[in-house]
Amino acid sequence: MAGETRTTGESGTARGTTGWIDATLVGLICVSIAVTVLGGLIQVSFGAYSMTLPEAWSAVTNPAVLFNGDAWRAFLLGTALPEMNRRALIVWNIRVPRVIVGAFVGMNLAVAGAVFQAVTRNELASPYILGVSHGSGLGVLVTFVFFSGLTHLVPLMAAVGGALAFIVVYAIAWNGGTSPVRLVLAGVVVGMVAWSLQRGLFFFVDDIGVVQSALAWITGSLTGTDWEQVRLVAPWSVVSIFVAAIGARHLNVLVLGESTAKSLGMKVEWARFGLSAVAIVATSSAIAVAGIVSFVGLIVPHVVRTVVGSDYRRIIAGSLFVGPALVTAADVGARLGPSVVAVAAGVVILVAGLVLGIGGLVGSTAVRARYEAEYTRPAGVALVVGAGMLGLAWLAGGPVVSDTQLPVGIVTGLVGGPYFLYLMRRRKHLGDL
Amino acid sequence: MQTQDTHNEDAQPSDAATDSALVGTDLEIGYPTLEEPVVTVDRVDVPEGEVTALVGPNGSGKSTLVKALARQHRPDAGEIRLNDRNIESFGQKELARELGHLSQENTAPDSVSVEDLVYHGRYPYRGFFESVDDADERAVERAIDLAGIDHLREKSVGNLSGGQKQLVFIAMVLAQETDVLLLDEPTTFLDLHHQLRVMETVRRLNEERDVTIAIVLHDIAQAARFADNLIALDDGSVYDWGPPTNVVTEELLEDVFDVDAAVRYTPDPEIVPKRSL
Repeated sequence: MAGETRTTGESGTARGTTGWIDATLVGLICVSIAVTVLGGLIQVSFGAYSMTLPEAWSAVTNPAVLFNGDAWRAFLLGTALPEMNRRALIVWNIRVPRVIVGAFVGMNLAVAGAVFQAVTRNELASPYILGVSHGSGLGVLVTFVFFSGLTHLVPLMAAVGGALAFIVVYAIAWNGGTSPVRLVLAGVVVGMVAWSLQRGLFFFVDDIGVVQSALAWITGSLTGTDWEQVRLVAPWSVVSIFVAAIGARHLNVLVLGESTAKSLGMKVEWARFGLSAVAIVATSSAIAVAGIVSFVGLIVPHVVRTVVGSDYRRIIAGSLFVGPALVTAADVGARLGPSVVAVAAGVVILVAGLVLGIGGLVGSTAVRARYEAEYTRPAGVALVVGAGMLGLAWLAGGPVVSDTQLPVGIVTGLVGGPYFLYLMRRRKHLGDL
Repeated sequence: MQTQDTHNEDAQPSDAATDSALVGTDLEIGYPTLEEPVVTVDRVDVPEGEVTALVGPNGSGKSTLVKALARQHRPDAGEIRLNDRNIESFGQKELARELGHLSQENTAPDSVSVEDLVYHGRYPYRGFFESVDDADERAVERAIDLAGIDHLREKSVGNLSGGQKQLVFIAMVLAQETDVLLLDEPTTFLDLHHQLRVMETVRRLNEERDVTIAIVLHDIAQAARFADNLIALDDGSVYDWGPPTNVVTEELLEDVFDVDAAVRYTPDPEIVPKRSL
């Protein structure tokens, strides 16, 4: 019997450290890395100074930069940049940081979304559920309208606005303790008030340029990001993601419900506040460099959960890689314009279909049974739709690079909307964890 | 053991302080939205090493009392002592190593495996950074064995029946390896087979591991068969307290449950309900 073969200490150690990593998760991570690298390369190769993908690849892997301590010091610490050729300079100084920032943003939002979905025990929660997005939007508008001389502080004000909204939400929700429902409702209330004030402030702006940059902030954009943004977002991301990864085990207990978690010895209020705070740090640092990129924190944990199941150790690990993949791919679309968006979306949908298919085929028996019951059709539909979009884009003259520099948040929103639709059509129990 | 047989509202054991694992005194337990306390008891005892069943009609305060005893709900007045120590003085994990509690409704994500869920029972033994060790593994194996769910361990919770799910949650609480266990209506909504499975697990746990158990039961006949002691609650106070042969009477069924029934002693009490009153 299974019980006799697995009572040794060895399997216990394996189970505690790596036992939860399975083939499905590894497959998902590999696909995500592939998408991120490909998206990054496309991002790096297009632009005013255009190059082919192999040229981009050789510039990115250029050993003169890659193994140059001075260059890395310049990138990561902001010291003076050493001499390098034109292509390396453009790639490494302008385009690579944008990809890296996008990856961090995706990582942070995805992990924060996973944390909030567990804390609020709601599958439809996102990093912005506790009023953070509208709070930071208000921070941005206040800076532009009342402190127009301090626009260089907009990243800080955005992060501070979001964090303040979170604190206000917690204060409102607290009544001798909180509950997921109270938190979500308080988040809606604070979000609405901040949103109204923010919209009101738009009427005080008479310069269209200011309106546009404010809008770029509240839709989320990676345009013009630099190594400075990498330096800004990296430390916070590393710390908060590290804590969230350790906290995954606690999230697993938290989703069993307050009463059970307490009976198991968890200090529920502390765990909830601590994990939320960590997720807010991750979210705020993402907002500070890219503005409010929508839907990433909602979709990514959701996709990951659908593929790897509801163990939060797996969800966080998966989100860590799928988040960057989504933002990088979406940013390629944002940068390269509508026809490219269609191609990219086609590829994304195709890949999603492939991931579903591969996940279903290589997964455990239980996963396979579930796949056959639920995902055969969506995977097929995804493949057909993805191929169809690629075909249409091809008929329309192929991907024409227009360098539109759309805010990336618009693209993620365009991906997120249809995903929501899919969710509503597919799921019997919307909101189950 | 105390064998008082006082058929009045203030039934109390007199000398239970020394051998009770869990004692509540002068308890008043209410909810913020209600003016009157839901439960008012002068004294409630869960004797060490025995199975105590809380019985009573719907709304008599059984679950409220159990929640207070498990420190899930703070009483407005009174004191609860676990192993002669105020329950408020325990740390959260410390308490979870001494006292297990399974609430009435339990939910888990559908795709969690049975084994993973049972491992959550080891939560109070693990530090923030620690992973599972041999002791955890052994405790989980024992719990799975005791609950008889070895054949389910690889399954995911969403694919289980209500009865199987309940046994899995019981295994999770067993993995906590506590000396005292509070179970809130673990057999409600289960078919007869799984009801008996749950009750047999409880009995085995008590006999083999000497665990003190307090269990809320809906079915008084079942309580009479499996428990060493009954606490009969009526409208938030203790109606009677003691071994089933003394507590289960036609009078109790009439006063507390509003049922006209015949009780035969063979020697365990057997209840034949006739009609509602």
